[in-house]
Amino acid sequence: MDTGIALAELPAVDVRFPRRRTASLISVVDAIAEAPRLQPYSDEVIAFCASFAHELARRARGMPELQALAFWMRKAELLRMRDEFCALGTANVVLVPRGVVFHLPPANVDTIFVYSWLLSVLAGNINVVRLSSRETEQTELILDVLTEVAARTEHAGLASNTVMLRYRHDGQATAALSEMADVRVIWGGDETVAEIRRFSIPPHAFDLSFPDRSSLTVINAQHYNCLDDDAREFLAERFFNDAYWFDQLGCSSPRLVCWVGSEECAQRAARVFFELLSSVVSRKSYKVDTATAINKLTYAYRAVLDQQVAEVRWLDNEVVVLPLERFEAVSGEFCGAGTFYQVRCERLAELASHVGRRDQTLCHEGYSADELHELTIALNGRGIDRIVPVGDALTFNRFWDGNDLLQAFTRRVFIAARSDLGRYREKASDRGGEGR
Amino acid sequence: MITDDLLRRPQYSLEQPEKEALLVAELMRLTEHHRRNSTQYDRLLRAVPPGEITRLNQVPFLPVGLFKSHRLISIPERDVFKTLTSSGTTGQQVSRIVLDRDTAARQTQALAAIMTHVLGPTRLPMIIVDTPSVVKDRKTFSARGAGVLGMLTYGRNHFYALDEEMQLDRVGLQAFLKKYCDDTILLFGFTFMVWKYFFQQIRESGLDLSRGVLVHSGGWKGLADEAVDNREFRRAFAAATGLTRVHNFYGMVEQVGSVSIEGDDGYLHTPNFAEVIIRDPVTWQEAPTGSVGVIQVVSVLPTSYPGHSILTEDLGAVRGIGTPSGGWGGKQLEVVGRIPKAELRGCSDTHAAEA
Repeated sequence: MDTGIALAELPAVDVRFPRRRTASLISVVDAIAEAPRLQPYSDEVIAFCASFAHELARRARGMPELQALAFWMRKAELLRMRDEFCALGTANVVLVPRGVVFHLPPANVDTIFVYSWLLSVLAGNINVVRLSSRETEQTELILDVLTEVAARTEHAGLASNTVMLRYRHDGQATAALSEMADVRVIWGGDETVAEIRRFSIPPHAFDLSFPDRSSLTVINAQHYNCLDDDAREFLAERFFNDAYWFDQLGCSSPRLVCWVGSEECAQRAARVFFELLSSVVSRKSYKVDTATAINKLTYAYRAVLDQQVAEVRWLDNEVVVLPLERFEAVSGEFCGAGTFYQVRCERLAELASHVGRRDQTLCHEGYSADELHELTIALNGRGIDRIVPVGDALTFNRFWDGNDLLQAFTRRVFIAARSDLGRYREKASDRGGEGR
Repeated sequence: MITDDLLRRPQYSLEQPEKEALLVAELMRLTEHHRRNSTQYDRLLRAVPPGEITRLNQVPFLPVGLFKSHRLISIPERDVFKTLTSSGTTGQQVSRIVLDRDTAARQTQALAAIMTHVLGPTRLPMIIVDTPSVVKDRKTFSARGAGVLGMLTYGRNHFYALDEEMQLDRVGLQAFLKKYCDDTILLFGFTFMVWKYFFQQIRESGLDLSRGVLVHSGGWKGLADEAVDNREFRRAFAAATGLTRVHNFYGMVEQVGSVSIEGDDGYLHTPNFAEVIIRDPVTWQEAPTGSVGVIQVVSVLPTSYPGHSILTEDLGAVRGIGTPSGGWGGKQLEVVGRIPKAELRGCSDTHAAEA
């Protein structure tokens, strides 16, 4: 009787992959419990991902974020990843899947759920992806392509190994899926992480969480001033990609531009840099709507009152620069959409004392590998997980937020093949040999 | 003093050039006043220097959202008389507007000047299209309560037409109308209450409200599903009840007293002591007559807080200039509605609300 009521109350969920249907939560839970694990980086899974990437590249014309995704998971890249993965194993260590991975991707970066799912499915795991209820052209295209490719007979294994679904306002579904998880992947900021952590996971399981982060760009001002027009133009375009692809609201989108050099050098560089950026923005037809413009204006005025911002440089609705009087941690909500704090440092090393745990990506221009290593060693883990050139802020790879995602979705089984008895016998036979 | 002069002279009686000249002079003075008396305001103007002010559209403005995050104040704490807060659903931040006695008194005087223009000098029997409980707890200044409370002064023998379940007190209403059958009657309520709960319950009843003056406010945002705009609202009331004297008004807690009220031409008109400027949302320059843009409101009333020039989050257009000789001078404003919500992406803002 009790069970009957409990079952009746279990909510329906909208399954989106492997095919679109409304299902009871219980049937989804059952399907996951019976889903097969795959061998890590099997030919089957690589073939599936490569077909998906190929088809996505063809269908996502004019969507640069999806093109980047498709390029990142093209066949050659998948094979390179397999080599890297195989290199992690040794004669004594075999990498095996963790089991069930429950992904909670962010609502608004349309491609993260694919990156998260891909690294896990390649490692052979069973995957449950809770999609955001916000349907965008990008996510729907990705899901359509995934569904079509999975429907091909040769990919049947994949269709039973992953469930992507949507459900609303429902603790029950999150609780049930969390209970099955061997790994839970929580994207989307402090609040989401705290909210999801209210639901327990099995004792052996762990959370891979991606909380709120912020990112910055560091440019050697003197170096910048010596660049020719072409190079500056190129940098402005690369920086545009970093900052504007996700309306500057991605964890890796730079919010702060730090100029390293003298006051005069930095001012000159900043003026040219943001003017060039403004013209790139208009050339790329990136426009903010009126609500966003007012939001930015309000944000800028708040920053004047709350932060060390003494000036609002409103180039246009799309590019707003907020110079900081001195380096300080800029905290709180962020409005994005082309709002840049700006600060100056005398030397790169000065940066180290201002970086905190929240800082994720540092984009650089005008520094050598040695200088960047020196900075990392000076930081000694206090902050910064990625140091990449301007233009690569959003380029996803296996190393994210300090984790190696290639390994995170696997367990290591240690094997020692030689037994004591074997060793004893070897020794004995050695001794026998001596005696002869 | 210019402000007193603007308040005393008959409302809507000024020719536009004279009105703007008086306002510019007074708003310049107020800008200086707030700079001297509010360190926050001074810091803001240093960050965004306004340049020389010779025209109304050069008066610097603050975005209305700033009053939600910051308590902006231009008087010593000991002079704070009361603090107004805006309405807001749970979790939303509300504006906090600090008043001293002078500013509060000026707001009252201003509203009286506007209402006298519409209602005449005597108090009228008044129907409040709301429930009595909306004003019961005077300590919680909800915007609806404050709005009703502010209007009560302009009527007498108050009758609340709705009960707690938003049901019409039909018997009471009929008795009220019978009792004051020779009087002009004031009706006041929030636009969505008037339409959704009052009009829908009386439209078939053949009630005669032709002696009524309806004053309503609050905007059309709760009425998107009802397909009603100002024109339809007026038409429906006239057809069903004979009520033709309808005055919508547009105002906000950040500038209490400086409301724009609907004139005989169907447009909103600003009083002598306030003005609206429509701004192009890309260039932020003043938009030409007829184009829709973001509404900026200026008023000479606020001295206790730097709210004399505010960029709202509403869209509107100036359709022309009214005729002072006809009783409705000032710009003819049409409020189009709230600016549509922003659609942004990003990692933050995710499932927390829906888990």
